[in-house]
Amino acid sequence: MEPNHPETSPVPQPEVPPASAAPGRQLSLDVLRGAALLGGLLISVWLFGGFTTNKQYGLLSHPSGGNYRLFAAVSLLFEGKMRALIGIVFGAGIALYLGKRLHADAAKAHDYFVRRQLWLMGLGIVNGVLLLWQNDLLFHLGLMGILLLPFAQASPRALLATSLVFMLIFCGKLFWNYSDDKTALRKYNTVLAVEKKFKADSAARAKQDSLSHKAVAVATNAKDSAAKKNEAKKDTLTRKQKEDKEKWEGRLKQMKYDPKADEGSRKMMREVSYVKLWSSTLSSTQGREAAWTYRIGVWELGMSILLGLALLKLGFFENNLSRRQYLLIALAGIGIGLLCGWYRLYFQNAALLDYGKYVKTRWLPYDILVPLERLSQAIGYASLAMWLLAVSWLGWLRTSLAACGRISLTLYLLQTIVCVLFFYGIGLNNYGNLSQWQLYLFVLEFWLVQIVFSLFWLKFYPIGPAEWLWRCLVAKKWLPFKNYNEAA
Amino acid sequence: MENNPTSSALTAENFINNDVAPEDVAIQKPAPVTKENRIQTIDMVRGFALCGILLMNIIGFGTDNGTLFKVANGPHNNADYITMGAIITFFDGTMRGLFSMLFGAGMILFLSGKQERPSGPRVADYYYRRLLWLVLFGVFNAFVLLWPGDILYYYGLTGMILYPFRKSAPKVLIMLGLLCFLINAGKSLWGWNETKDKRVAYLEAIAAEKAKQKLTPEQEAAKAEWPEIEKNYTFDPYYSQVNVEKTRGNYPTVFEHFMDRNVGGEIWWMYHGVWDFLGMMLLGMAFLGLGFFSNKLSTSTYVMVLLVGYIVGTTIGYVAFKGTIEYWTHPVRYIDSYRVPHQLLYDLRRLFISIGHAAFIMLVYRSKLVPWLMKGLANVGQMAFTNYLMQSIICTLFFYGYGFGYYDKLRFYQTYYVVFAIWTFQLIASTIWLRYFRFGPFEWLWRSLTYGKPQPMRIRN
Repeated sequence: MEPNHPETSPVPQPEVPPASAAPGRQLSLDVLRGAALLGGLLISVWLFGGFTTNKQYGLLSHPSGGNYRLFAAVSLLFEGKMRALIGIVFGAGIALYLGKRLHADAAKAHDYFVRRQLWLMGLGIVNGVLLLWQNDLLFHLGLMGILLLPFAQASPRALLATSLVFMLIFCGKLFWNYSDDKTALRKYNTVLAVEKKFKADSAARAKQDSLSHKAVAVATNAKDSAAKKNEAKKDTLTRKQKEDKEKWEGRLKQMKYDPKADEGSRKMMREVSYVKLWSSTLSSTQGREAAWTYRIGVWELGMSILLGLALLKLGFFENNLSRRQYLLIALAGIGIGLLCGWYRLYFQNAALLDYGKYVKTRWLPYDILVPLERLSQAIGYASLAMWLLAVSWLGWLRTSLAACGRISLTLYLLQTIVCVLFFYGIGLNNYGNLSQWQLYLFVLEFWLVQIVFSLFWLKFYPIGPAEWLWRCLVAKKWLPFKNYNEAA
Repeated sequence: MENNPTSSALTAENFINNDVAPEDVAIQKPAPVTKENRIQTIDMVRGFALCGILLMNIIGFGTDNGTLFKVANGPHNNADYITMGAIITFFDGTMRGLFSMLFGAGMILFLSGKQERPSGPRVADYYYRRLLWLVLFGVFNAFVLLWPGDILYYYGLTGMILYPFRKSAPKVLIMLGLLCFLINAGKSLWGWNETKDKRVAYLEAIAAEKAKQKLTPEQEAAKAEWPEIEKNYTFDPYYSQVNVEKTRGNYPTVFEHFMDRNVGGEIWWMYHGVWDFLGMMLLGMAFLGLGFFSNKLSTSTYVMVLLVGYIVGTTIGYVAFKGTIEYWTHPVRYIDSYRVPHQLLYDLRRLFISIGHAAFIMLVYRSKLVPWLMKGLANVGQMAFTNYLMQSIICTLFFYGYGFGYYDKLRFYQTYYVVFAIWTFQLIASTIWLRYFRFGPFEWLWRSLTYGKPQPMRIRN
């Protein structure tokens, strides 16, 4: 997540950094990274603290009351947008990193870049598999950096177009999932029709049986019963039909609030033995790293990383636009995002009330606009931040966020450690105990802790501990810690 | 010359196909004979591996698991069983291993000895661009040609990890490669132990029940869980029936039928199976560095490698084959009696046999016994990418319902007649093609996509 690296070439910075920026760093990116890192915690805490999808479905099924409004507000403002913002900043970091170094020594630049990404994936596995944060993002960022390397040299226009293509593929994937549901429902209805016919048949047969029973002689009895057995066999569903039936019923169950559904996860996360917790969360962590990446992650992160690359090349983060332009982009981006978000919440409510009816009547899934929502709102936020930096408002906030952004990797890992120790059974065992607003209160306090920690840390040390370790790993040697020189 | 995009384009092909035609070599630099020899032997081994890979893939293309199950359970003295034993003992995974090694070696050939140009795309840019296209070719092979056993996808992605290791010493590469295999074995052992634990818990629960004890909730759970696990280990004719029926269907049916298999495969292999490819690629890079693939070692060394590789490899292979048969015929007895999974040494066996194969080819080449065949293999190897995709095209059209529909209709040993026919075809077709063109059609497409413009292809005299 850090755009800078110890092996910086001696090429001087093209832009004059603002007074409060650390040497060799871009203030706007630090601020945005810090904001996304802190904002993301509002969403991560759902999973850390046990505000499960099921509980969210409970709120969404009855969209009224303070609790629902709080959830809707956080969902509208933060859910998925912070990840998109991290992607944008990460993409910009790639362009910045390679842009500076390629001129000095191209082979070395690529070498360092790929090694950085591989180690980032390694840190992601530590964060996910060892520290037990099931929704780790470092692994994916590392992977995406390597995958998208061929795009690093592309023109801003090509990058914007590719980002758009990624977004459309993301939409397409969501639509595809929905058409699977549609197919499942259709097959289910076919099976229901067959079952109905069976009932009618057996009723008719029973009637016939009782009529013919008296007339039939005892001699034919054996043959008769064999035939009846055959008919009865025909009357049961085939394995395929049973599978079809179960598939839709299972899907329906997933799309409904179930007051008892959280007992399993509650028991799991409150487990006091690390080894047991480790083995029970492993499959979900690995599923996130493998299947989620393949199905969604590549497209979701790809669209924002490509956008970040494009924006950096357009000078977006260097105040190349006028204040008016920044403000306009901010308003438009956030406006579009909120509209899409409203669409999502509105139709998700309909879907949760009766998913069968929803699938039967609607041809688009409720989440079809999610990719646009996330991307557009993230640009809006980035633009808003640039505008705020330009008009120099909220200076204290800028300093705080920039400090967080500078040691973001450290803070990201710290978030995992603190949340795991606070919520899980191997620590203070608060999983599932806190209500939604209490979770946000926790986040608020933790924000303050992180900001104070960052400001203090940077007063004494030039670099965060995790950042330092990462760079040592990439450089394959111990770098100075206390006298670390950012631009050297 | 480094500024001439065409010439750098020509050299760029090296890393998977190494298909530098002699005149290209002459353009680059006056190539000594040894250099041409080196390229030739690598092409030969690659051609051999490419042909050999079909020995394993034909099973996926043409035979349903139900038939394999019947062969395993049937008499042990018929052609089917003997063929199966020979194939699994000598070849299972080894050709993929050899192919992966040459992929790693080709990466070094591609990246080494190239100067960076001051502006424009760098060697690494071309490298990663090419790999990304390879990933897309893999998607095409799996989802359009409908071959769930595709490897191009994984090669493209795994190749992206290799770049920082291009200058590592052979010793380091060998350590890393073996580490990959260790991880693989560790993962398989881990899964095995979990299964065994569940089996033991189940048996204990059953014993407690027989002794009329009241079961604890854990015992109840263990008792309920095992039959579900056992289902995964036992052959179910229902899925075979569905599989055969669907694979003999029309294109949309086959497409839909293979969708889950393709998606699941790409997810599983990329995340859990990456060590399979990565380990072999790293070892291939090391062996290139040691001169093994470039015909630089002494004949006695190659003989030694051949003997040790084949003897150790096939010994493990035979034990593994026996394990496979036990697993297919008596899955529960297999779980109860085996202390470690029979495939624990899978990668080690592959490694031994693969280098044995490579040494074999070197020795045949040196003996000058069948120069025409060696030349033919080199041609096949030069067009490896095309030939690999051609195998998908031919086999799917021969076996799937939208083609000739021979899926699961031939006896197991008979499918190897198809393999021999395809080998003959590819040997002849590659030789004829390369008389007129610099490289195969899919190589041309891939290269043109990488460089963003059509590349010259005809050989002009």
